[in-house]
Amino acid sequence: MSTSKRIVGTLAIPVIASIILEALCLSHGQNIITNAKSFDNFVVYAAIVMITTIALSINLNSGRFDFSLGSMAALSAVIGAKVSYAILGGGAGSAALMLVLTIVAGAILGLLSGSLYVLLRIPPIITSLGVTLIYEGILYTLTSGKYLMTEVQNASMSGFVGTSVYAFLIILAVLAFSILLFDHTKFGFDYNALKNGQKVAVNTGIKEVGNAVICYMICGGLMGIVGFLNAARNTNINGGQLNFGSIAIMFTAFLPMFIGSYIGRFSNEKLGFLLAAVVMSLLNSTFAVFSNEVTASMQSIINAVLLVVFLIYLNNENLLVRILSPRKK
Amino acid sequence: MGTNKKTKAGVKKYKTQQMIITVLPFVALVGLFFLFCGVVQSKGYRLDMYLKIIFNEGVVLAIVATGAIFIYTLGTFDISLGAATLFAATLGVTVYNSTESFGLMVLTIFGCGVVCALFNSVLASVFHIPAFVTTVAMMSVLSAVAGQIITTKGGALGGISIPSEIVKPYDTPVFKIVILVIFFAISFFVFQLTKVGRRQKFIGGNPVCAKLTGIRYNKYAIIAFAMAGLGVGLGALLTLIYTPSVTTTTASSIGMNIFIAIVFGGMPISGGARSKIYAALVGGFSYMLLNDVLELLIDNSAAYGLTQVISAVFFLLVVYITGMNYRSTLLPR
Repeated sequence: MSTSKRIVGTLAIPVIASIILEALCLSHGQNIITNAKSFDNFVVYAAIVMITTIALSINLNSGRFDFSLGSMAALSAVIGAKVSYAILGGGAGSAALMLVLTIVAGAILGLLSGSLYVLLRIPPIITSLGVTLIYEGILYTLTSGKYLMTEVQNASMSGFVGTSVYAFLIILAVLAFSILLFDHTKFGFDYNALKNGQKVAVNTGIKEVGNAVICYMICGGLMGIVGFLNAARNTNINGGQLNFGSIAIMFTAFLPMFIGSYIGRFSNEKLGFLLAAVVMSLLNSTFAVFSNEVTASMQSIINAVLLVVFLIYLNNENLLVRILSPRKK
Repeated sequence: MGTNKKTKAGVKKYKTQQMIITVLPFVALVGLFFLFCGVVQSKGYRLDMYLKIIFNEGVVLAIVATGAIFIYTLGTFDISLGAATLFAATLGVTVYNSTESFGLMVLTIFGCGVVCALFNSVLASVFHIPAFVTTVAMMSVLSAVAGQIITTKGGALGGISIPSEIVKPYDTPVFKIVILVIFFAISFFVFQLTKVGRRQKFIGGNPVCAKLTGIRYNKYAIIAFAMAGLGVGLGALLTLIYTPSVTTTTASSIGMNIFIAIVFGGMPISGGARSKIYAALVGGFSYMLLNDVLELLIDNSAAYGLTQVISAVFFLLVVYITGMNYRSTLLPR
């Protein structure tokens, strides 16, 4: 594939989406990004979507459907918030400490989830259902089913999302980490081999169990970051998410995952996830501009319709090309 | 000679394990029932009242999950069934409030259940979208539309309702048992005694092989989703009969509880030849009994959380035991 085709393929969706969404906002007499605060929100939301998408794709690409991502994000955030509040009482450095603790807690939760999967050897979708219920139950027990607010409402936390700098740094760090790990290390080569041919890869001596457990651990750590960013952005953590209430977090990542995978054909998949997250964040900012006209329900419908339309295109691309291309005589 | 003996012993062990796996869900259901009765009586509560609650919760889950078994047998799944139940009930209430016709309400509920399910099957089989994605999208859309209708029409009340006297004559155990038996009998007939069920199991077990023998996936997917749609319609109707009002949380947990009910009933989520039509019925009531037993035993503010943790551990344990004979050297996907 030529370089120009790669560049066009990589940037087509983000650029077209930006133009359409900006035009829509201009028709309403506003821009997508109206001021510094909305830009900060835009970057933080892009970070949340990108990291969730990467976490979702790590296991889903390997045929492991993981419902527990949302519960890991919420539970690790609660653990991080409670411990950091117990140490610093919401004082200076609380946000940084909570971020570190949340990542560690998330990684441990991921490790437990992965260990359960490889020990029980039952389908990952089932394991993740059980794990989701367990983590939601623990979350509920720790918070008595209430919103956690005192621990996350302090100057340090609001300062973290009050500027886009930290979110930018997180995006760069996660992107660099995931590209390095999955594209340039032995672990990544093993992961890709297992993804594309499980039996052959195992027969060549690749340790599948270790690879899978590390994948779950990485997902947990990433969802820890998401849990932290959500807590800082919403200034609370919902502790009453029983009966699979936490899986909604995962659904936000479906559309960007497919858009990202499409963009990844022309460049790097992880870069595709970043660009897809930017598109989703632009869409979210556009919804904010139209907040009086577009309700939360309508936003859900629009997102779902976009997902279905994009997938119809993606899964019938060859057919569409055949129909639309001129017939050779 | 020695090898022959070993093989025979292996076969015997396998058969015993299979028998245990088949019988276990029934034993668990009976055991949980007696445990439930014991716990309720030891607490000094009214057993008849608690049994009525269990029955009303269990019958909706059992019916929707029985319909869903047709989808799960194909090796796919649909997590939008809870949202579809909410949507069907919402439209049913809206239609009744506009027309005051009970018949039209019932028709709307069934029509809605079947159309929602068929829409999923068209997206999955005609447009080749993975079922887990279409059903996720449908879940968002149906919940959002139902939520919009409920909040718009319900206003400050937070829900929409029909007059209770309209459905009161049907709020009897006899009516609900008749509905359950009829639906189960139809499902049993289609699943066990026709080529539809056999071919669905074949597709679920080995889709490539099924395709090579000339079985058309689309046809059987549409039948499976239509059966699930009927289950959704019945579930929505019974939900309205039990509670004639609909809120945004009505039937919210059904979609995921179906997974648990099916597994508790001894059927693998991967579908195929080991699928059992009775799994939802047995598993649905078992799950409800277990949940209520735990909620009665853990009587404090954290009860719901702990109940869920114990249920989940039990759930994983059941799956582990029932899948003992099917371990492979590779990690399952």
